[in-house]
Amino acid sequence: MCRIIDVSILSAGLRLIVLFIFILSLLLSLLLSLPGCAVSKNVLVMPLPAPSPPVEKIERPEIPVVLEEKIESNEFSVAKEADVIGRLAFIMLEKGDTLPDIARHFSLGFNEISAANPGVDVWVPEAERRIILPLSFILPDAIRKGIVINLAALRLFHFKEDSKSPAVSTYPVGIGTEERPSPMGQMYVERKMVRPTWHVPASISEDHRKKGDPLPAKVLPGPLNPLGEYALYLSKSGYLIHGTNKPTSIGLRATNGCIRLYPEDIKKLYENVPIKTPVSIVNQPYLIGQRDGVVYMEVHAPLENLDTDELDKIYAKLKNIEKKSTRKLDWKKVETALAEARGIPVPIFEIRQGNIKGDEKITEVKRPNKFYGKPEIPEQKTEAWYVLAADLRDEIEAKRIAAIINHQGPQIPARVVSESDRYRVIAGPFNNIREAKDAAKRLKIDLEIEGILIEPVRKR
Amino acid sequence: MKKRFWVISILLLFAVTLAGCATTGDLEKVQAQEKQTSVKAEQALQAAQDAKAAAAAAKTDTAAQLEKANAAAMKAADAAARAENALKMADERAKLAEERAKVAEEKAMVAEENAKKTDAIFQKSMKK
Repeated sequence: MCRIIDVSILSAGLRLIVLFIFILSLLLSLLLSLPGCAVSKNVLVMPLPAPSPPVEKIERPEIPVVLEEKIESNEFSVAKEADVIGRLAFIMLEKGDTLPDIARHFSLGFNEISAANPGVDVWVPEAERRIILPLSFILPDAIRKGIVINLAALRLFHFKEDSKSPAVSTYPVGIGTEERPSPMGQMYVERKMVRPTWHVPASISEDHRKKGDPLPAKVLPGPLNPLGEYALYLSKSGYLIHGTNKPTSIGLRATNGCIRLYPEDIKKLYENVPIKTPVSIVNQPYLIGQRDGVVYMEVHAPLENLDTDELDKIYAKLKNIEKKSTRKLDWKKVETALAEARGIPVPIFEIRQGNIKGDEKITEVKRPNKFYGKPEIPEQKTEAWYVLAADLRDEIEAKRIAAIINHQGPQIPARVVSESDRYRVIAGPFNNIREAKDAAKRLKIDLEIEGILIEPVRKR
Repeated sequence: MKKRFWVISILLLFAVTLAGCATTGDLEKVQAQEKQTSVKAEQALQAAQDAKAAAAAAKTDTAAQLEKANAAAMKAADAAARAENALKMADERAKLAEERAKVAEEKAMVAEENAKKTDAIFQKSMKK
């Protein structure tokens, strides 16, 4: 009995002691936690980490914008061990501008200007908007001799052999469709022709016959000839590098396998390319190049017939660059460039620190008074024939259709006429009913538009 | 016998005298008590009057407060009704805005589809 009482007293005493210790420890921990949780953790649980250096606030100076009258679009010198040529610039839009007009003026393709400016309405862009001119290119991974055409970039490079310093001329091109792709591999210029005649291939003749637009066996030089004014016949039979009567198709996959250039570009190429010039056609959507110690990456939307190993090759190449350097590659930048596929060289890696100087200046190109090759719309005449192409409530859609009609090859002039809440797309003027009917037929065949003929206003 | 008589008489006198003395004290006591009671009564009356006045005042106050409370309640009811109305209107507006947004979204989608369709037709038209 006594022992039991003694033990209970003892246990009560012990409990009191434990309680006291517990309260004491609580008080202690409370005292220690007062300066902050992090500190208490550091003090009690882990050693203090080395203090991180204070974050230096980098004050970026405003990047100066340099306004220039002109910018080089075609002719570039290639610096030693450099794979990147040209520079990016921008232009301010005005009301009524279209991206294809800007593209042609600066010798850019439809694909290039639209990829560089995602989200911009190609035909009816907002006025006073900055449009990037992607005039910087990574040279394809090929022997720099003669003509090299990168199908994925829809661009031709002409390496000049006779010049003292290495130089290259570059032009945007139109290439073959998915059904009739442009050939790849090595070939050469077999012969040249000014004002070529187009001998219509049987397959194309059949396609046109099915569309209700039968073609003659041969199309003589003139505005209806799709070869344009100049042609370089390649050693691969049936394939040419030629001009076009549809300039807006440059930068599109719209040919039957031939390579098309803007009329002004084919003229220059024709004059500078002798017979027997080697032609190499490659398909490289992922390009890597260096300039001034900086590695750039240029990504184009790959064509559907691309070898899947191409991307693996690029990754291997990048890993190799990283391995050779002591610095880490920013793979996030690589992923972003791949995802965006804007066709612009993006700096992804500096071989030696401090090479990326940032955009030291941005070039704004002064908007010319008139864009080269922009389709002109003749004044309205009461005594002329017209074709009503569309009658819409949506002004933007009407403007878009009018712009597309204007950019047909050969041009069909078109304008938007507003009538209360309606917007009418009127094609014309046409001198006679035959011209109007021809235009209506082209609208039907090429653009699936059912035009309505509008007679001239008769004078009484 | 006489002696007994005298003793009884004296005792009686003494008793009466004693009794007489007690009555005077009592009287004084009673008088004091009466006085006290009177004061208390006066006080009670005063308190009662005060209470009455206070009650009257309170009654007036209560009436005013009641009136105020009624007015406040009416205002509150009015405000509640207005709030409910506002809520209803806001709800309707939100619904309308939602419908408008839906219509705008549908329009944008149609416009986008149209643009895509137009673009596809344009690209087709660029072929030979």
